[in-house]
Amino acid sequence: MKSKFFLSEFFKNNGAVMGSLLIGLVGFWLIFLIILPQLSMLDYSFRFNLPPAEQGGPKDVYTLSNYEHLIYGSDITHQTYNSVDLMVFVRTIIAAMLVTIFNIFLCYPLAYFLGQSKGSGFVRLLVVLLIIPYWINEILRAFALRIIFGDSGLLNETLMFLHLTEAPIDFIRKDIALYAGLGYAYILLMLFPMYNVIESLDRNQIEAARDMGASWMRIHRRIVIPHAKPGIVSGATMVFMLSAGALAAPQILGGPSSLWFTQLVYQWFNDSLNWQQGAAYAIVLLVSTIVIVLTVMRFFKVNMGDIGK
Amino acid sequence: MKSDSLIRIALGAYLLIFFSYLLGPLLVMSLTAFNSASFPSVSPWACFTYEWFDVLLRDKHIRDGIYYSVIIGIGTVTLSVSMGLAASIVLTQVWPRLRSTYYTLIIAPILIPGVVLGISTLVFWDRVGAFLGVSDETALYGLFHNGLFLTILGQSTFIASYAMLVFVARLQRFDTGLTEAALDLGATHTQAFRKILLPFMRPAIASAAVLAFLASFENYNTTTFTIIDYKTLTTVLAQKVRLGINPSISSLAFIVIVLTVFAALVFEATHHNRKRKDAIAQGKVTPVKKGILPPFMHGNAAAFGLVALACVVIVMIGTAGKHDPQVCKADVREARMLETERRIKVLNETRALREQSEPAESTPNKPALAPSGAFGGVFAPTNLTEDDAEPETETPKGGSGAFDNVFAPTNLDTED
Repeated sequence: MKSKFFLSEFFKNNGAVMGSLLIGLVGFWLIFLIILPQLSMLDYSFRFNLPPAEQGGPKDVYTLSNYEHLIYGSDITHQTYNSVDLMVFVRTIIAAMLVTIFNIFLCYPLAYFLGQSKGSGFVRLLVVLLIIPYWINEILRAFALRIIFGDSGLLNETLMFLHLTEAPIDFIRKDIALYAGLGYAYILLMLFPMYNVIESLDRNQIEAARDMGASWMRIHRRIVIPHAKPGIVSGATMVFMLSAGALAAPQILGGPSSLWFTQLVYQWFNDSLNWQQGAAYAIVLLVSTIVIVLTVMRFFKVNMGDIGK
Repeated sequence: MKSDSLIRIALGAYLLIFFSYLLGPLLVMSLTAFNSASFPSVSPWACFTYEWFDVLLRDKHIRDGIYYSVIIGIGTVTLSVSMGLAASIVLTQVWPRLRSTYYTLIIAPILIPGVVLGISTLVFWDRVGAFLGVSDETALYGLFHNGLFLTILGQSTFIASYAMLVFVARLQRFDTGLTEAALDLGATHTQAFRKILLPFMRPAIASAAVLAFLASFENYNTTTFTIIDYKTLTTVLAQKVRLGINPSISSLAFIVIVLTVFAALVFEATHHNRKRKDAIAQGKVTPVKKGILPPFMHGNAAAFGLVALACVVIVMIGTAGKHDPQVCKADVREARMLETERRIKVLNETRALREQSEPAESTPNKPALAPSGAFGGVFAPTNLTEDDAEPETETPKGGSGAFDNVFAPTNLDTED
């Protein structure tokens, strides 16, 4: 009843042509690009991978087998766990969290410095320097790190020249390159939200606190961080979701033996051509990352509306 | 006072670390584009060359990739900017209690992993095809399994959210009274939109379009699932990087970096110039009449940088045709051969020396006895890898091993 009232109001405000154009565009986006594709992927993940002839036939029923595969592997008796895939999943989530925390600590001082020192040419230069890597392709950035971390890469050559190591260290196999690459890939998505909120902080507050004798630590803990919280959480959400969902960096920088969860999804889709299984893994990734993000947001009392500011 | 300077030093060090982490890899990658070594590297520097740019320009896959990336970019910009604009206008009018749900829905695609978006788009349109019962040969089936169509839809899903954020920021400053006045004066809704709201939104539309195009151009996660038979620049690059690296990718990266720096400097310079003109118009600053510099460069560091960059690029393009690395390459090959020969000789000498000194066990350690171990190993870093294969040099008897560490330059560093 009320939504009907809203619609008539909406058309009165915008006219028939504009109103239907607006509603049409938003409706197309919401229904055909956001809601229905997600639902159809969810539906797909509960189905068997059948040859086209059997689709819609008696065998085409709902099943949990795709999800069971993640937990138990191909073992139907459910005696043993699918330790390979589960390990990959846990490792992806934990590594994404660590990358996020690393980025928070690395970015906070710079965001504070940029946000609080206003207008000088030097700061302007720093901002321009920050924006440049932001527009370089993700693949190219991963490639740049691969040049540095490779067997005969710059880092190994430098270490050997300084006699810090005798033989080249295999950074790629040890996943050091991967973590450095993930931290590198999305660092600016952490920095800019933080910078935006810290910039809006009134400097007088800090000066007042300092005049009253508050210590440097205390100023940050009681004034700057509470004010910057929406920005920090917003940046952390972006970095966590993007790291957990990253595909390019693990493909380029990951070791041959260790996989990222998205790579499993990719393999199900492109190598095994088992879309149903891939969809189930994608749903697991989506749901678990969203649950983690919502939990963290609730814990820090930040709303969804703060994201993207 | 002392703690103040300490903080300054710490800040400087921190800024240095942060920016070298951010820019260092890009710098190294740019340098590798000019090294003639066939594997992208800087440390054994062979010859300065432009040949990788040539290889890049002749690469058909990359040219095709750029072509399809541009097509997809144009489609994505059109779709996502119009959807984003519509969504932001609806957001200002939506029933207040529905607003937060609506906002969550339209902001969600930013948070959904790109992989998931790609998969869901692929699965959904496959399903739509099955639902409509279109068979393999029909045009509709072709459309639902067309990489370009699916990629534009998949990318627009989340790029529209970015565009929407840009529009919301601008719309907050819009005075709805203007539209109402136009409607009172007899304009139709469409006219009011076209003549009032659209001109107001124009700067936001421009920046959203640029943002959308760049986001589309560099997207990988979604595209890799939806592209199917086609290829975009990023998927071509990813394939190349995974299968085998060659410095022509570095040369592409160099071009991208130069273009980005160029765009950033143009933006900065015009921004600065506009501010200066405003200041002059308000009478705050008197325009400088004299001087050798053209007026737009006064106190405008970005303009300086722009001119310098343009000069460097012009010089590079000018010399690219004339510069011939063949001589240098031959030299490098010769030097490498000489180096190999020298190493073999040194190895043989050490072996001969050891065989001589073996019978007389109490030979004093003289540096003269070990011409190779002390210095040979130090200056050729690659020799170190061979040390493992040659444990004899490390034996306590050998005269060389003892002096190896004494004269190694790193020893001085560690003692500091």
